[in-house]
Amino acid sequence: MGVDIQNFIEGLMTALHPMNILWVLIGGFLGTVVGMLPGLGPATAVAVLIPITFGMDPTSALVLMAAIYYGAMYGGSRSSILINTPGDGSAIAATFDGYPMTRNGQAGQALTISAIASLIGGIFAIIGFILLAKPLAAFALKFGPAEYFLLFLFTLSAIVSLSRGKMVKGFIAMAIGLMLSTVGIDLQTGVHRFTFDIPQLSEGIDFLVVIIGVYAVGEVLYNYLNLDRLKNKNKLGKKWITKDQWKRSKWPIIRNGPIGFLIGVLPGAGGSIASMLSYTTERQISKEPERFGKGAIEGVAAPESSNNAASVGSFIPLLTMGVPGSGTTAVILGAVIMLGLRPGPLLFEESPEMVWTLVNSMFIGNIILVIINILLISVLVKILNTPPRVLYPLILVLAFIGTYTLSYSVIDFYILVIFGIIGLLMKLLDFPIAPLILALIVGSDMEQNFRKSVVAHDHIMNVLLASPVTITLSILTILSISYPFIMSWVQNRKSKQADAA
Amino acid sequence: MVRLAMPLFFIITSIVYLILTFDLTKSRTGDPNAPLYFPAIIGIFLLIMGIIYFFQEWKKRSEAVEEFKGLIQGRTPVLIISSLVLIFIYTFLFERIGFLFSTMIFLGGLLFVVNGIQKWLQNILISVIFSFVTWYSFSELLNVSLP
Repeated sequence: MGVDIQNFIEGLMTALHPMNILWVLIGGFLGTVVGMLPGLGPATAVAVLIPITFGMDPTSALVLMAAIYYGAMYGGSRSSILINTPGDGSAIAATFDGYPMTRNGQAGQALTISAIASLIGGIFAIIGFILLAKPLAAFALKFGPAEYFLLFLFTLSAIVSLSRGKMVKGFIAMAIGLMLSTVGIDLQTGVHRFTFDIPQLSEGIDFLVVIIGVYAVGEVLYNYLNLDRLKNKNKLGKKWITKDQWKRSKWPIIRNGPIGFLIGVLPGAGGSIASMLSYTTERQISKEPERFGKGAIEGVAAPESSNNAASVGSFIPLLTMGVPGSGTTAVILGAVIMLGLRPGPLLFEESPEMVWTLVNSMFIGNIILVIINILLISVLVKILNTPPRVLYPLILVLAFIGTYTLSYSVIDFYILVIFGIIGLLMKLLDFPIAPLILALIVGSDMEQNFRKSVVAHDHIMNVLLASPVTITLSILTILSISYPFIMSWVQNRKSKQADAA
Repeated sequence: MVRLAMPLFFIITSIVYLILTFDLTKSRTGDPNAPLYFPAIIGIFLLIMGIIYFFQEWKKRSEAVEEFKGLIQGRTPVLIISSLVLIFIYTFLFERIGFLFSTMIFLGGLLFVVNGIQKWLQNILISVIFSFVTWYSFSELLNVSLP
């Protein structure tokens, strides 16, 4: 068993420190507000709010960022349910039955069940985290460069192949991210690469500026496209759910928490896949599948439980191996590296109190968020009624302030705008953004591990076959790339059989 | 044919990147080519993906390009261009007249463009209060020095 009782209790004590509770409260609230904004999701929320963490001790910073993350997950479902506009992929499933519930005058109940489901899903995931994280970290301690290189490769290929129907675009985004990561002085040899004699480039492209540019500036510019179409004039209706509604939701919530958690742990998957899978599974096993899509409460409960569990689960690869599994965790990794921390197996050995503080704060944070989200529903709805026309300019300004605080130079403003425009173009052309960000952040590590492993094993083929772990990862990488092709082949066959019949 | 512009862009990018890669200074320690292996792999990978993307778009070449339609509809072009102009003004003023006033101008300008002139009082109040609050919380509470 991986639980270290003493560290756990120490972590609980630190998490209960008034200052940390205050950060959870602030982070959860700000995250909810940004997440509620139509079109903006957790990655944007964390990216814009990174500067708040500067000058904080790393533990509090991590606690705050996690709070912003799951706050934004809660907030994202708010805009899905109330105005049918998900902030990001993981909130899409909440629109399927959440918005119909709103139109049936049950918005209040939809919001309540989504908050309760998120809490229970989150608690499942935290228990899973406690059981799984330390053994996984201990396992990852044995990883050498070859294992890490293949782990990065697998994560990148998984995140690309999961961006359905646009794999080529995903790989292009990934390649561009990796290219950007090669700019600057080569760490092993000191050779200047692609710096064009511009001194600012010798330290490489600051990935936080890219993150803020793509996720904040780019997203705001993209949301200008729909600015005048967003209207929110829905009645909340009753807030408390009925006994019958609870009966319908109970099992879907309990079933989908663990499912969401496990999907969240997988690199590349995360909230979007988890919530979609939970929704479709519940519809398939339901006795009345025809109710789905027309305001079935279990259709809100299942994906909400699962996506919140996934967001907690995604911290496992991040903290135990330093490998982010999603766009948002990539952003958090970027911010954490800024703070001088190196997530990975050693984190559990060197600063266990930090990990356990985070876990406990997630627990406390989820409870606080449910209270915020149920008791303050009417306040939150008022915030959602604050026109996006006021909030988008504020986010834009925050993006610039954040960028300035990174390096105290306005030169970064140009880089910010360039990546804002790139982000806008990517959204317009339907290029997935997460592979770019992920590749940019892990690119340098990936290259170092690649080179070390080639030197150690003489040949690239030997790297792939270096250990059982590398063989497994190589196979998984190949599977993840071929998976979409296999799936479409299976579907083609099925439809042909159906046609023949 | 506009469709093919993006894939061509990526193909050209990958070729330029590969040329730059093979032009890199050789390392004086260890394997002289060590710094260029990884970029070379990425460059070749992007080239292959660019070519596949080219053929994907080639199949659709007769379809109209709809992706950018949203950009020229309604007041979107005005919003985007004015935001970019305001960003450049902000960049220019930021270190010259200081954070507080430049942010008021930037945010005020954005609000007037995005939120509308009719709500002038709201715009002015928000830009003044928000600029002051962020300035105060960053420089006083978070000890981040701003110009």
